[in-house]
Amino acid sequence: MKKKILIIEDDPAVVDYLTTLFEDNGYTACSAMSAQDGFELAQKERPDLITLDLELPDEWGPRFYRKLSSDKGLKNTPVIVISGLSGNKYAVSKAVASLSKPFDRDELLKIVKENID
Amino acid sequence: MFKKILFATSATEACDHAARVAFDMAQRYNAHIDVFHVLGIPTRGYSQVVVDVTTGEEVALDDNYRDLVKEEIRTYYDHQIEKTENWSIDVAIGLPHREILRIARLMKPDIIVMGGSTGASGSYAHKKIVTGSTFQRVAKAARCPVLVINRPAASFWGGFSNVVFATDFSDAAATAFDFSFKLAHTLNCEFHIFHALDITRIQMNNLHTQDYIEDQIRKASQQLRFRYVSRMENFKQYAMAVWEGIPFVEIVKYAREKHADLIVMAHNTHKTEDNDSPLGSVAEQVILRANCPVISINRSVGKK
Repeated sequence: MKKKILIIEDDPAVVDYLTTLFEDNGYTACSAMSAQDGFELAQKERPDLITLDLELPDEWGPRFYRKLSSDKGLKNTPVIVISGLSGNKYAVSKAVASLSKPFDRDELLKIVKENID
Repeated sequence: MFKKILFATSATEACDHAARVAFDMAQRYNAHIDVFHVLGIPTRGYSQVVVDVTTGEEVALDDNYRDLVKEEIRTYYDHQIEKTENWSIDVAIGLPHREILRIARLMKPDIIVMGGSTGASGSYAHKKIVTGSTFQRVAKAARCPVLVINRPAASFWGGFSNVVFATDFSDAAATAFDFSFKLAHTLNCEFHIFHALDITRIQMNNLHTQDYIEDQIRKASQQLRFRYVSRMENFKQYAMAVWEGIPFVEIVKYAREKHADLIVMAHNTHKTEDNDSPLGSVAEQVILRANCPVISINRSVGKK
């Protein structure tokens, strides 16, 4: 069964890029453009991994992660932070990785593979 | 809670993280934000020739130059100002800490927001183990709380909803409790009361047993209940904890573990009103290392 990745990102171009990248590499992808939608989708879809932008229209990434970690079913879901902000590496301390935009697709796929394959 | 914010800035990259928090607070809490910049230090006495703190050049100060600097600041923060309803920009000449304290006395803000030291970066703490001197001087003398954002990662929260009050049981900590509890109550936050038992001091001369350390933890927990919880009446959204270790490390760890978006603590608590004494090292180290904004409160906050 294909592993599922939830993309939480408000830039449609990045969402398209990530969706194509993941699907081309054997994963199923779903996406949300806000923290609220992302959380609801995470509860519904129970993804194997989440990519998280830090600056979302309704919420900041760390606050979303705090909510995620208080949900019993989602708290151990690996999160990869993908953001253009400086200092993103330290924003979510329990994220499995943090990548700065523009990111290296091979590096991202390698991190995904290490965490869910 | 926050109706008047004084944002003291160098209008450089070093203050970008503080700007993110300051403007977010202004927008979120419908506050007036005064962006305050000390543009230069007079070359001598009351000279109108000043050394521009940003460029390092000597300039003759006149109204045109002031307006030019204001316009530059307006442009620098354009993205944030356009989303803010109530703002102003002020510039002054003089020593930064004196001018910040001077305008704070006039404006009586609810809070002063500052960034890390100019040139501060993520690795700043390794290069220099003290906070910026302007911050130290402002935090020691300000009559209102001072919020500092040193690391970029501390600026990615957006509002306060999960507050850690770290106490050393001093008089200044009592003032910090009053402020932090009011904030938690007003903004409907989760409120964490935390004490770090300093075992480095306990163990300086001999190695204590774990029984001894746990007795101290129990005593500290009783103190938390006696001093703070007993004053919180029906407020239920709180937790309390005592961890043993190196105080600044434990406070930063606890805040990280609880996903705190604000730490409130007193500083300089073992000193009297001595203007030459440095900022308490625990508060200073927490400010340098925390992953969220830190509000520092001195013993004169709230006193007339």
